[in-house]
Amino acid sequence: MKILVVDDFSTMRRIIKNLLRDLGFNNTDEADDGLTALPMLKTGKYDLLVTDWNMPGMQGIDLLKAVRADENLQNIPVLMVTAEQKKEQIVEAAQAGVNGYIVKPFTALILKEKLEKIFARIG
Amino acid sequence: MIEDDELITDDNIARVRDLLACMQKGNEEDAIEIIDELTTIRETELYQDMGKLTRELHDAISNFGMDDSINIMAEQSIPDARERLKYVISKTDEAANKTLEAVEESIPICDNLNNKASELHESWKKFTNRELSADEFRTLSKDISHFFDKTAELGTVKDHLTSVLLAQEYQDLTGQIIKKVINLVGEVEDKLVGLIKITGAPQVTKKSGGDAGTLDGPPVPGIAHKDTVSGQDEVDDLLSSLGF
Repeated sequence: MKILVVDDFSTMRRIIKNLLRDLGFNNTDEADDGLTALPMLKTGKYDLLVTDWNMPGMQGIDLLKAVRADENLQNIPVLMVTAEQKKEQIVEAAQAGVNGYIVKPFTALILKEKLEKIFARIG
Repeated sequence: MIEDDELITDDNIARVRDLLACMQKGNEEDAIEIIDELTTIRETELYQDMGKLTRELHDAISNFGMDDSINIMAEQSIPDARERLKYVISKTDEAANKTLEAVEESIPICDNLNNKASELHESWKKFTNRELSADEFRTLSKDISHFFDKTAELGTVKDHLTSVLLAQEYQDLTGQIIKKVINLVGEVEDKLVGLIKITGAPQVTKKSGGDAGTLDGPPVPGIAHKDTVSGQDEVDDLLSSLGF
């Protein structure tokens, strides 16, 4: 299980990486925005994408849409971890095909629950 | 404004009487002359008023510029505030990294000791149940001695915890800096309100609702947010209402 963590703040990437490691996911890579993340995803090495929404360059929602539009990537589960709490944004992410939506600040338990839910669904 | 007592003078009343007389007599030429005269009087007063207003506006703007506090604000306080806020970013960044480093180095130590302790616990249970051979007991006793050596690493964990504790000093420092910047923003606001009053610009009404495309970022307590959820539970409710 290889996971790509995308966030423009290095501390947030580090926190997520640590939490993921605690949950037994040791194989993680980082990217600081969608533009960096997309070519990494296209290598086909990743089984899960965890992304922030608000980032310079390419935003998380656009990354999600790009992933869903790419026939090689469209089945990768995407978990959004963001401070954006507007209803219309959550709806937009859902319509774009997000698999989970976590609002910051979040706890280790919430991350665990959402990941379990995602994995339970994709089997 | 032309005051009543400036317009209604004996001279002007005489002029109006003459005008009426000329008109009744059908003397158009003289009537036009009198009207022109009256118009000139009126325009002169209008120009005087405009002049007065212009002078007042000029004075007000000059006073506004001469107000030292606003110069200090533009030349010193605002760039200063920018530096202060940059410092807040660097302080919080530093604290977060220091904390993360300490935690990242402590977790493997804890994991390691925890695993070792579990192993020893298993062996110890076997020992108390008299299930250990003499050889196994010798290994256990060596393992226990080794474990005690390992517990010295708890000192490192404690050091890391202390460094996490110390890293929290950023809250005090950044809090003070942000308070200063909040005060400055308040002063700038007052000055701007003053400027708006001088120029007499119509009050700008706030646009209701935000653009769909803009991102609000983290919700700030004390600032109203429209159509937002508060917390993970509401996100989950919203998503499940969408069939998630």
